[in-house]
Amino acid sequence: MVGTPVLFIAIPLLAAFLIPLLGFVWKESVRILPGLVLLYLLYLAVNLMGQVAHSGTIVEVIAGWAPPWGINLVFSPLTGLLTTLMILMGFIIWIYSYRFKNIDFREAVKYFILLLMMITGSVGIVLTGDIFNQFVFIEITSISAYALTAFYKGRDSAEASFKYLIIGSLSSMFLLLAIVLIYSQLGTLNMADIADKAHLMKPGFKILALIFFITGLGIEAEIFPLNGWTPDAYAQAPGPVGAAFSGIVVKAGVYAMIRVIFTLFDVSGTHQFLIIIGMITLIIAEMAAVKQDRLKRMLAYSSIGQMGLVIVAFGIGTEEGVFAALFLMLNHAIIKSLLFLSGSYLVYNSTEKYIHETDGLAKHLPITSFLFALGAIAIVGMPPFAGFWSKWSILSAAAHSNMILVIVLILSVSIIELVYYFRVVNRIYFFPKQKEVEPKRPTINALIAMSILGILILVIGFYPDSVTGYLHSASQSLLEKGKYIQDVLSTGQLFIQ
Amino acid sequence: MKKILVLSLLAVFGVYLLEVLFKIDFGHQFFLHGVKDFYLTTSPDKMGVANVVTAIVVNFRGFDTLGEVTVLFLATTAMSSILYKGRHQLGERAVLFSSSRIVMTGSKLLFPAIILLGAYVFIHGHLTPGGGFQGGVIIATGFLLMLLSYEDYKVSHVALSLVESLAGITFASVGLLGFLNGGTFLQNFLPTGGLNNLISGGVIPIIYIAVGFKVGAELTGLIYTALNEKD
Amino acid sequence: MEFKLFDLSIVEYAFFITAVLIILIGLYGALVKKTLIKIVIGLSVLDAGINLLLISVGYVKSGTAPIFSPALIKDMPLTLENIKKLSEGMVDPVPQALVLTAIVIGFGVTAVALSLVIRLYRHHHTLNIDEIKNLKW
Repeated sequence: MVGTPVLFIAIPLLAAFLIPLLGFVWKESVRILPGLVLLYLLYLAVNLMGQVAHSGTIVEVIAGWAPPWGINLVFSPLTGLLTTLMILMGFIIWIYSYRFKNIDFREAVKYFILLLMMITGSVGIVLTGDIFNQFVFIEITSISAYALTAFYKGRDSAEASFKYLIIGSLSSMFLLLAIVLIYSQLGTLNMADIADKAHLMKPGFKILALIFFITGLGIEAEIFPLNGWTPDAYAQAPGPVGAAFSGIVVKAGVYAMIRVIFTLFDVSGTHQFLIIIGMITLIIAEMAAVKQDRLKRMLAYSSIGQMGLVIVAFGIGTEEGVFAALFLMLNHAIIKSLLFLSGSYLVYNSTEKYIHETDGLAKHLPITSFLFALGAIAIVGMPPFAGFWSKWSILSAAAHSNMILVIVLILSVSIIELVYYFRVVNRIYFFPKQKEVEPKRPTINALIAMSILGILILVIGFYPDSVTGYLHSASQSLLEKGKYIQDVLSTGQLFIQ
Repeated sequence: MKKILVLSLLAVFGVYLLEVLFKIDFGHQFFLHGVKDFYLTTSPDKMGVANVVTAIVVNFRGFDTLGEVTVLFLATTAMSSILYKGRHQLGERAVLFSSSRIVMTGSKLLFPAIILLGAYVFIHGHLTPGGGFQGGVIIATGFLLMLLSYEDYKVSHVALSLVESLAGITFASVGLLGFLNGGTFLQNFLPTGGLNNLISGGVIPIIYIAVGFKVGAELTGLIYTALNEKD
Repeated sequence: MEFKLFDLSIVEYAFFITAVLIILIGLYGALVKKTLIKIVIGLSVLDAGINLLLISVGYVKSGTAPIFSPALIKDMPLTLENIKKLSEGMVDPVPQALVLTAIVIGFGVTAVALSLVIRLYRHHHTLNIDEIKNLKW
């Protein structure tokens, strides 16, 4: 017994409360402690994944009250996979930002607390089995995200953050409304219990609650038209925070939405709605990405587009489709984080972050440029890199469901993607360097972080079988709604003191 | 033009929402298998907590409260991060108006009473209405009064963050201590005592006192950070 | 119970109607107003409306507060039957606990929003949203 899922929340919270105290004693500990915590949690996550593969879903009750009375955490193949992924990405982002931009001590305290809490909040969204608890974790994630967006003291970062905050808090109000509607009908807040009793809800409540849920969660999942905040927030936030948005926060948002749609309510037509909204998101985002002349905005739009593709794949609804969606989420987390991390060194000293400022940097920053190019090739889906396998599985899932239009659209969007990524790679490698640009060599910890991501891309690309087993059991566990309900509600004995 | 569009959209939204809400039988909860009845009977019967809302906030849904405390902690961190101007540019207090001697003496007299009331509210959280959050807010209003009436009133940032951190650590560690005797996170491991006694309810008063200190320190910190903002 | 026009049952729903009206006022403020502070106020009003809605969902007619105070118990022995009997006359405690959490969260968000407003004002010396737009909306 190495530990229980609740440690994923409790240990980082304890660490976050400790960081200000430790700062009085030893200043460097402020930077080290989050890394140690994330390393321990990674070890725990890997161990628990092994345990889940052997003996099935772990349901942990909190405060000794069995579901539906108490709050419970569910560590299933699906949530476990996402937790492991998020903590891995969090650890890599911590390595990258260990010495980030030499921020002074008081800023470092805040930066690391906020980063750790953003990761913890996202893990909480995935692990919890209670809708109101999920709302609390969403707020934890969002508040840290607002603050991290405004971390640099430029004037635009506050504006981007304010915009994010307005959209974010409007959405969370809708989430709360959905919770009110459900509670007024069923008198319970446990997800499995709601899923079990959803048929008891009066007509009207169910569909309205679903609409509110999708509106509320769509903002973190970056679906159209709730993604107005995304490009500005990604562009204004520090580089590692952008990576954390696309690698961690968005994944949590997508998970929450999918859990609501697949488990809580199965209203007919939702899957078609997902496909349509995903396609719209995909097409609009990729069209917008081509027009961008700033690197981070381009990456942000590309991130939105990829999320649209994930939503489409979930909308296909078959086991194959869900598998493809999860595969794409995994790949996107790794690749887009690499692009953000290496990209932020390519435009390090620039204020406006224009794409043409990266011209000819390959000679000055060979490793960073190579990793950026690797990420670009992987994300557009060139074989044999990681992105190819996920795109291939989406196409084959769509083909097996006879969705010709979807295939055509995905293929044509891929061409657009190819164009704007290769435009950048082309500039990095074959254009003469601009005189006024001063390249900044990445620090050693940043290089380690980026190399880990690059190696992961190659490993998944050449040995996709190393992850597909986990992905298959994860996608099965999402689709087996009855088993989820039974797993949670049969946690059985009530602990009374 | 935009106003008319928004107004009509809002009207449609409101009518639709009300139409759904009118299906609720107001004042009669018709769901039979909800969690509420279990809470109402278990709390006085098994946990020795008279105030059922407190039992829910601190124990049944204690995990939410841990998250909620974290939200406040993050709000203070976020606020000081957003308003941080660099090491050497700490702003001075903004003075809106200077207060008369009557106000100053009056607030000095009221201050201990307010702190006492706040402490009373969070210590009796499991017996009477109120609790850690309410008590903490009352304590913060005491500090707000002092900050408003004395131009040079100082609150130590170090003390605030010390109280904040220690209270947070207490909450999380009491939660982790629940693992003793093979229990779960946040589970009660102390004797529950008799209903309506001051010392009853196991860990609930301990957690609520920690929450009271934490909320008081955090809100005071928020007010102080915002007041120090002078342009 | 279905709502009919010219029916006194509308009085019963005064809480819901008020709550929805407050929600709409808040949404209007957040969407239409041009001053940053007013937008933040709109969000707070919206928050208050939803909290009112949540608390009125848990209302039970002529119910008491869910506290087993000595005045309520009097001399009754605390058997399970007595507790059940007493609890029937109580309002639902769950929404009250949820509202407590929701208020605190709303407070946290408002604090962050106001500090962002202070930052924006420091840079632009205006609170008008039209004059601040550097980024595309």
